[in-house]
Parts: sequence; structure tokens; C-alpha cells
Amino acid sequence: MCGNAARRRVPRHFPATLKTMDSNPQPSWIAKLSRSLERLRQSEDQLSLVLSLVIGALVGLVVVAFILLTGRLAARMYPAGGSGWRRILVPVLGSLSTGYLLWRYFPFARGSGIPQTKFALFINDGLIQFRTVVGKFFCCSASLASGIALGREGPSVQVGGGLASVIARNLGLSPKQVKALVPAGCAAALAAAFNTPIAAVLFSLEEIMGDLHAAVLGSVVLSSATSWMVLHLVLGDDPLFHVAGYRLVHPVEFGVYVVLGVVGGLGSVCFVKLLLGLRAWFMRLPKSTVWFQPVAGGLAVGVMGYFVPEVMGVGYNHVEKVLNGDIVLKVVVLLAVLKIVATAVCYASGNAGGIFGPALFIGAMMGAAVGGVAHALFPNYTAGPGAYALVGMGTAFAGIVRTPLTSVIMIFEITRDYSIIVPLMISNLIAFFISHRLQRQPIYEALASQDGVHLPTAQSRNEAERVQVRLAMRPAAEILSPDTPIIMAAHRMKESNFNAWPVGDKGGLRGMVRSWELEQAADDGASNQPVAVILSKGSENSQFASEELPHVHPDHSLSLALERMGTSGLNVLPVVSRADVRHLIGIITLDDILNAYGVSKRDSPMEQSE
Amino acid sequence: MATAFAERSFLGTFGLVFLSIAALFATDTFLVKTERAANLVEAARLFEQALVLMQRGENAEAIERIKDAILIERDNRYYQRTLAQAQLAAGKSADAESTLTELLQSDSTDGLTNLIMGRVLVKEGRFAEGISYFHRAIYGRWNESAPENQLRARFELIDLLAQRNSKEELLAELLSVQDLAPHDLKMRVRLGRLFLLAGSPARATDIFRGILHDAPANADAYAGLGEADFARGDYRAAQRDFQTALRLAPDGQAARQRLELCNDLLTLDPTVRGLGPAERFHRSLKLVELTMDETSQCIGQNPLPELRELLDKAGTALKAHVIAAHQSEISESNTDLAEQLWQARKKECKWPPATDSPLALVLARLAQ
Repeated sequence: MCGNAARRRVPRHFPATLKTMDSNPQPSWIAKLSRSLERLRQSEDQLSLVLSLVIGALVGLVVVAFILLTGRLAARMYPAGGSGWRRILVPVLGSLSTGYLLWRYFPFARGSGIPQTKFALFINDGLIQFRTVVGKFFCCSASLASGIALGREGPSVQVGGGLASVIARNLGLSPKQVKALVPAGCAAALAAAFNTPIAAVLFSLEEIMGDLHAAVLGSVVLSSATSWMVLHLVLGDDPLFHVAGYRLVHPVEFGVYVVLGVVGGLGSVCFVKLLLGLRAWFMRLPKSTVWFQPVAGGLAVGVMGYFVPEVMGVGYNHVEKVLNGDIVLKVVVLLAVLKIVATAVCYASGNAGGIFGPALFIGAMMGAAVGGVAHALFPNYTAGPGAYALVGMGTAFAGIVRTPLTSVIMIFEITRDYSIIVPLMISNLIAFFISHRLQRQPIYEALASQDGVHLPTAQSRNEAERVQVRLAMRPAAEILSPDTPIIMAAHRMKESNFNAWPVGDKGGLRGMVRSWELEQAADDGASNQPVAVILSKGSENSQFASEELPHVHPDHSLSLALERMGTSGLNVLPVVSRADVRHLIGIITLDDILNAYGVSKRDSPMEQSE
Repeated sequence: MATAFAERSFLGTFGLVFLSIAALFATDTFLVKTERAANLVEAARLFEQALVLMQRGENAEAIERIKDAILIERDNRYYQRTLAQAQLAAGKSADAESTLTELLQSDSTDGLTNLIMGRVLVKEGRFAEGISYFHRAIYGRWNESAPENQLRARFELIDLLAQRNSKEELLAELLSVQDLAPHDLKMRVRLGRLFLLAGSPARATDIFRGILHDAPANADAYAGLGEADFARGDYRAAQRDFQTALRLAPDGQAARQRLELCNDLLTLDPTVRGLGPAERFHRSLKLVELTMDETSQCIGQNPLPELRELLDKAGTALKAHVIAAHQSEISESNTDLAEQLWQARKKECKWPPATDSPLALVLARLAQ
């Protein structure tokens, strides 16, 4: 159908092409190729299909190179059985060099890559610069090869999404088309990084898009499958982990899997809170130390690696060992704790690398610990620790990344073991529930919030599909300066119909000052003092932060704006950027909303009758 | 103008992307080859270390090294089989079984893996299952020197059956291997001895006679033939064979012991042909005396009345004065008395008599 439509459209564009060819004779195959490409360029559906395949192949090959490069470099930089001092020195030097490069040349290549990709997708029209892709690839390779306790999958997602963005933009596609191809690149990357094509599709939809019914499903599936085929072509058909066949020994085991879900959920929350807390602490340090901060992660992992080398790097070989029940209970407990700390410090200090891999590592160790205890207590009713390590991986993934469906399918695909899927679902959902209760904001949203970026949630995107604030808002014609005397501010507010007014300076929006606050200040004899006094009083009570400032974004629905007006008691709200909450784009008033719905006071029947 | 520029950009980007794909494919292929070569070296290094550790008896350490090697080179069945052997040597037979089960899931016809599995199960005391794996090994697939390896597996099974004294199964295996085994003298002697263990002295005799036909001065064959004759109850022939064997190989301790046993038997047996009445009577008395001594040593304070009666009879017989004319007749009654006493002893005494003593052998022969 689409193809026919495209074919019908082609003749309209033919004359220009033919004219060019007539004036510059070319061999017939070049002419044919040109015509084919021209047809392709004119047909959006066909182009999307072809690009999905091309992106899948390209991203698959890049991720394979990434995997091989990090593995080979790691084996050379801190070989098994190498000296202890080397295990300290290599991560320190690695984090120092990559820290400088990230600070100086590739500022957007820090961290995992998932929040950055979502930022690009939802806020920046799918724009990921080629420089970021290159920086992410090489900095992550160096960082992971030097033993930094982070993963390679998150960065792969950003690299994949970035390549899709670069290709789409260079082909001159519209922002809408660019945004549609970025998830395809992400899925291709994850399919190759984890060898999990189905989970990659789900992850792209569940986490990146936040919508399992997204329209990009077709291209995501195609690119994921292509990438997976490329991976198999180059590396062969091996699952990420080889696992002995496990089965449910006795129904009593379901109880142990429930316990594992609880432990996995609590462990995930500890990890996320520790990571976010440490990151907030690092962010409070002077800006001049940013290039040097990753060394803290390198040093931490180096010192741990001196005593326990298993903590270093991605650690998938140790995960495989524990999946086969080859590591004793004390060691798995130690490894779980050390990896949580090492990954949190490495990530929070600004090293390049993701948390997918560490999540699997931590989960496997937690699972093996629970399984080891259970098997020691009830040897006849429980499987060995390996089975629990397997389920533990999914549990931690569901608890930390908060993608329960992806985690179930991913563990199934990683291990190709179907028999454990029901316990996996039980544990995953419990861990997800606990994590959701104890840490409201998912990790990627929380990380973005720390950077002052408000990523849209699935709920907010649904709202956004309705009438949006951007359609009803008005420019903020006048903003009160913090230095404006209170009496003047009160006078201006009386002239307007608003009960609040935005206050800002060169640094952006400082807050909202309310009419009753101005009146109260005037009554207290502070008429000549600046408005900033009121704002600072307010910030003493509740520290000024994006969460406390009543605001809306341009893509929010009008109903949400109305709801927020009701909650805050204001009839005017600032409209701020998602990328920077201090950037005031405009204001929206109660009248604007009513006008947008066609029920403004002016037009109301009651007013007319009066 | 703008359209032409867009067209060029479109074509150029596609061209660049395809070039990148080709370059990346080449790079990845090169990296994979390098990686695989390095991995093979590393895995081989770890495996060599493991073999050294196994030779030193440090099997637990060896297991760890082999597992590390397998992590790198997952499809190496040789490493996995060696892991199972190390686990077996370390006493972790359940782990060895698990390792081998995985291997057999991917290839159930693998001869060597089945053989090791057979050994593991035998060590666990699961003989019936173990023997079935030995059979799978014998009829399984071997990557190199298949006939030799299959024969070796069969002989390992035969040795196991011989140790367990499973005569019928042993005989079945020997009959199937008889024509397959190499025809060197050493192997033929071994086969002959195994037939003896399997309770087939006639077949053993044929084999040893065949050997002596080809190599008349083979001491081992004479000793084997002596054993076969001995097993058939032909002590006189056995005596001759052992004597010949000792003449050919004077250091043969086993043949010497068997010869002494034959001598004792032949000097004790009152039914040997060619004896005079006096000698036959004398031997029958000796038989009664030895039987009575053997019985007296093992009975309790209050033996059964029948046994008491037999012992009394034996005492009387030993003291009785018999004239030459009645010696033949009394010899037979003495022999009967010795046999009755022996049967009564078997019922009364808690521990069985030594089956390879001259007395037991003579009485067993008399009972036939």
C-alpha cells in the first residue's frame, strides 16, 4: 500500500532528476541508483524502513566494536593475576584522563547515556551531536577498560541513538522523522550490547519512549533485528551468560522468590538513593573540580579492586560464575555490597558508563546470597544459588531501572532459560513495587532532575496530547526585578488582575511573589524593601527548588495548569523550559485557559445578560 | 539549486554510511580474530596450569583454573571433560556428573564423555547406570583412534566386571571382545585369565593351548593353563602345567604357590587314581583328622547333638585299628564321614571355611 503510494508520487519528481541526468550523462546503473534513491527520498515510509535497517546494521557493528575494544583493553590494562598496585593505578589514571576529556571536549558524554538520550528525544528534537557519539564511544571504552565499575549498555544506547540522529539529520529529515529514528538506534544498540533483540524493543518503548504503543514500533523492531543479526554474523550465536538448566524444585520456593523480590527491591532502593545522594554531593562541589571528580570513582574502585579484584570493570565473567553456583556465600554478599558502593561512587563522580551491567551484577550477587541461605536451610526444597542469582538479576534490573516487562524478557533472552520465568515475574514485580514505594522518582528521571531537566513522564506525555499550555500562554511582558520595592510591586499588581507575579533577573526566574505577601510586607512596614526579601523569606521556609515553584511546561495540558492553579491558589503560572526551570518562556493566566476553552468571562452568557 | 544540494547531501550521506558499515565490518572482523586468538592462548595457558595442578593432586585449584579456561573458550569439550575428571578426582562426583550431563545433552554419542560418566557413576556406587554409560562409550563416537579407544573402554568395563565378580556379564563382554582384541601374546594371556574369572575354564584352556601352539615356551600361558586345569578339577594336569611354567620362569611366585597347593591336594586326596589300599586308607584318616580339627576350632560350647555324634564317630575312626583286608572299605566310610562332618560344620560354624585350602578343595571335589 505504502509502496504503491510512493510509486504514484514518484513521477512528480522525475522531470528534475531526468533533466540533471540529460545534461550530465552517467552510466545506466548510476542513473538507476540515483532514481531509486530519489524515489526513496520522496517516500517517507520506505525511507523509514530502509533507514531502520541501515541504522540497525551500523549501530550493531559499532556496538560490537565497542564490546571487543573494552574487553581487549581491559584484559591488557588489568590482567587477571596482575599486581595489586596496577589495579589501583589503572582506574585512577583512566578516570583522570577520561574525566579531563569529558570536561574539556565531550560534556554530554558523561554518565549513562539514557537520560541524555531522553533529553535529546523529548526536549531537543532528537539532536545528539556526532561529537557526543565519538566522545561517548572512546571515553567509555577507556573508562570501562581501566576497570571503572560501570556498564557498557547505557552508553551503547546513547551511541546508537546518536548515530541515528546524525544520519537522519544529515539526510535532511524533519525533526519529527529524526525523533522517530532515535529509538530505533537505541534498540539496535541494546540488542547488540545484551544480545537481546526483544528486550531491546521493549526497553526502547517502555523506558525511552515511555509508551508501549508508540508509532515507531515497526522501525524499532526492524533495527533491533538487524543489529542482532549483525552481532551474530560477527560474534556468533552465544548468549551473554551460559546457565545450567534450572527448574522449580518445590512450590515452597515461591516463598523464597518473594523474599528475593523484597531483598532485591530494598537493595535497589539503597543503590539508587546512595547514587543520587553521592551525585548531589559531587554536584555541590566547586565547578572547577568537575574534571577531577571522576578520580574519586577511580580511586574507590581501585582500592576495592586491590583487595577484591572482582569488583572492577563490568564483571560479567563473575556473574556467569555465580549463575553456575561457583562462588561461595560470603563472597557474593561482599561483592554485592562492594559493587553497590563502587558503582554509585563511579557514576556519581562523573565517569562515563552505565548502570545496566552493574544492576545485573548486583542482582546476581543478591540473588545468590538469598539462594545460598535458602539452600542451606532447606536443601531438599530449593534449587542451588545459581537459580536465585538468575532471578536476582531481573529483580535488581526491575528495581533500579524500573522496567519490569523489559527485565523479565531480558533475563529470559540473556539466559535462554524459560523454566525460571514465573519466579522471575513474581520477584520482579515485588522489587518494582518496593522500589516504587520507597523511591518515587525512577533513577533516570531523578538523574535528569538533578541536572535541572524535567523529562516528561508517560503520564505527562498523555496529557500533552490534549490541549497544551503552549497554545494558550502569553509572553511574560514584564517581570519584576528582585530589587523592585515592595510598594511598587504591590501597586503594579493592583493594576493587573493577577494575584502573583514572576520575579527574575539575569540568572532567570527567581520565583513568584503573591499579592497577599506584598500586602503583608507593606503592613509590616517593609514597603521600601526589595521584593527579594519576600523571596528569601519564602526560601527559608521551603528551599527554592523546581519542585516547590508552581509552574507548567509548554507541553503540559491546560487541565494540568488549571489543577496547579487550584493547588497553589494562584491565577497566573510561569511557563518554564523543561531543559532549565529558571528559563521563563511565558506566563499563563486563568483567563487564558478559559479563553482557550471558549468560556472566557467576556463571552459568558451571564456577563452578556448583565 | 537547493534541490540539487539536498540530493547530493542525501546521496553523500548514504554513501558515507555504507562506507562506514563496510569499514566497521572489516574492523570488527579483525578485532574478533584478534580477540579469539588471544582468548585461545589465555584459555590454553589456564588449562596448562590446571593440568600441572592436577598432576600435583591439587584438584580444587585445578577445577577453578579449568572453569576460567571454559569461561573463555566455552565450546571446548576437552576442557569440559577434563573438568569432570578433576571434579571426580576431587571427590565432587555430583559436580562431575552435572558437567558431563551438560556435555551429553549437546552430544549423547560422545564416547569419551560417556566413558567418564560411567566412571563417575561407578564411583558413586550406581553400577547399573555406570555400566550402561560404559556401553554407550563402547558403541559411541570417538574423534580419533576409534577402534583402539572403544577396545580400551571395553576392557575398562571388563576389569570393572571382573572386580565385581559379575561372571555372566563379564563372560558376555569377553565373548564380544574375543575376536576384536589384538592377537599379541600378552593380550591373549589376559583374555585367557579373564575367561577364568568369568567361570569359563574350557574357553581359557583353548586360548592358552592356542598360545602354547604359537609360543611353546610361554611361561604365562603354562601358568594360565594350570589355572584352567585347576579350575576344572584336574589337579594332576595343573601340577604339570605349573611345574613347566616354573621351569620356564623360576621366579613365578604365583605359579609356585599354586604348585604347592596342587601338591598338597594331590597328597591329601584319597580318590586319586593309582593309589594302593594302604595309602588310600591313610589319606582318608588324614582327611577325617583335618576335618575334625577344622570343625572343633569353630564350634561353640554346646554343639548340635548330630554334630557331637559325628565328632565322636570321627574320634572313634581315628583310634580304630583296621586290618589290611578292610582298609579299602573303611577308606570309603572315612571319606563319607569327613564329608558329613564338613557339611555339619558349614551349618554350625559362624564363619565359612577358607575355600582355597587343600582340605576344602578336596572335600568340594568329593562332593561333586
